[in-house]
Amino acid sequence: MCEDMVPGTRLRVLVADENPRRGHALSETLHADASLDVLTVPPGTALVDAVRACRPDVVLVDMNRADRDALDSIRALSCSAQERPVALFVDEDDVELMETAFDTGICSYNVLEALPRDVKPLLRAAIALYARFRRTRDELTEAQRVLAERRIIEQAKRCFMKNEKTSEAQAYRWFQRRAMQTSRRIAAVAGEYLASQKKDEAS
Amino acid sequence: MNTPLRIGVLKLADSAPVIMGRHQGIFARHGLETEIVVSPSWANIADGLAWNRLDAAVIFAPLAMMTALGRRGHDTGLRPLGRISRSGNTIMLRGANPVEGTWNAGSPGRQAFDLWAMSIGRKPRIAVVHMYSTHLLILRRFLKMIDVSMEDEIDLSVMPPTDMIHALAENAIDGGCVGPPWGTEAEQRGLAFRVGGSATVLPDHVEKIIVASGKLLSCDATGRRMSHALRDAIAFCQQPGRRADIARALAAPVADGGLTLPLAATEAILPGGDARECVTFAGGSLLPSDLDWIISDMTALGWVDNAEHQMLMRWIGPVPADPAPACARSL
Repeated sequence: MCEDMVPGTRLRVLVADENPRRGHALSETLHADASLDVLTVPPGTALVDAVRACRPDVVLVDMNRADRDALDSIRALSCSAQERPVALFVDEDDVELMETAFDTGICSYNVLEALPRDVKPLLRAAIALYARFRRTRDELTEAQRVLAERRIIEQAKRCFMKNEKTSEAQAYRWFQRRAMQTSRRIAAVAGEYLASQKKDEAS
Repeated sequence: MNTPLRIGVLKLADSAPVIMGRHQGIFARHGLETEIVVSPSWANIADGLAWNRLDAAVIFAPLAMMTALGRRGHDTGLRPLGRISRSGNTIMLRGANPVEGTWNAGSPGRQAFDLWAMSIGRKPRIAVVHMYSTHLLILRRFLKMIDVSMEDEIDLSVMPPTDMIHALAENAIDGGCVGPPWGTEAEQRGLAFRVGGSATVLPDHVEKIIVASGKLLSCDATGRRMSHALRDAIAFCQQPGRRADIARALAAPVADGGLTLPLAATEAILPGGDARECVTFAGGSLLPSDLDWIISDMTALGWVDNAEHQMLMRWIGPVPADPAPACARSL
């Protein structure tokens, strides 16, 4: 069931991330610590099944996993009615760490009755890695946005040049001036121009 | 610059007052800037409240109470702002119904269960949406009503409502107790039949409530504005004449302010719809009588002890009505 299972009495950490690249990177980071047994949830396996099979001490889980609800129930459903569900994160005195973890999209579950030692460094490692992935994703999104804007501006310029019989520089200056007059981005003005042209063609 | 109030919801029809509150500009009319956070799981809602990532959320009372008791690993100043909805949960089973319609209490229900379980060919796997849900309590009461032991005669599992449709189609589960519109959606797709639900077990029980986190509660004026806005949004959603508009808004993509709910099933379960188990939007302050049965069941299940039982009865009290000091945020 669990991949990379290593027998022993070290702290067992289950990494549950639906993003395989990020999950692998986090596992690699944690593998560097010899005091940890790092396990991962195989693709397609329910989180609750993986926890039942692996019996980890701590689960580091991607907050976008919808099956996180099932993890809440694992002990409450399988043990006596007095058992409390798995929902302990970090010490009460370190709210900031947990809030940072939430902001980066990860949380930590303790599957034991008592909080194991050294959970904080695990969570910090996960936070750093998740933050890096988010930065990369944001940079990619920004690059895609810039490219898309450039495409719109180029298309609008070509359309303007054809309609108004102008040079490329004149067309660009027209969009630039209009953007300044209306306090908007050139891409927005270009998009509006293209939309109005399409509307004219349709009518 | 004001920070919007973050309100957590799941993809359920009883989130409609929050969705329509923004859609219809009701929150804005009450001077509230809001951001609706559509969460993938109830755990995200509960943890968001406990760890200051949500200012308010639509939630069922058992999970709200367990969160308020600090069962999410962190004490929180969570308080109820009011009711949102009543009823609407359905108990759905896959396969063929051995009898006509819903199952009756006592031995007729027991016989129907035995016949159905035999046709399934395994110990029935029944899902609920969360361990601490009204769904689990309704399911437990229903099974008790037909003399079936939830602890011994079924395998209980937990999954989000949106996943139940797929799980029924894949035979991964044999049934579930689920909120609107997912039970009706399963029925319309021919994946399951209805044997009971809110109307069968406990008609008009309180289903969803809205709770506020400590941050929202620290500003009484905003809490009151939120209560008033929700009162108006709930009144809007309860009008049968608005059913088609509300269903369309809820079926819209999340990026467009909706919840991507299935349109036909959603229209069927809204007030005035033709489903056999419709949701009722009902606002007002939460009363001890709303939660008596829930707290009593939670105590019977061992989730809370007698001391916590008393704490929960006090927890229901209204939001203080004193004039608020100037609030730092838009709260």
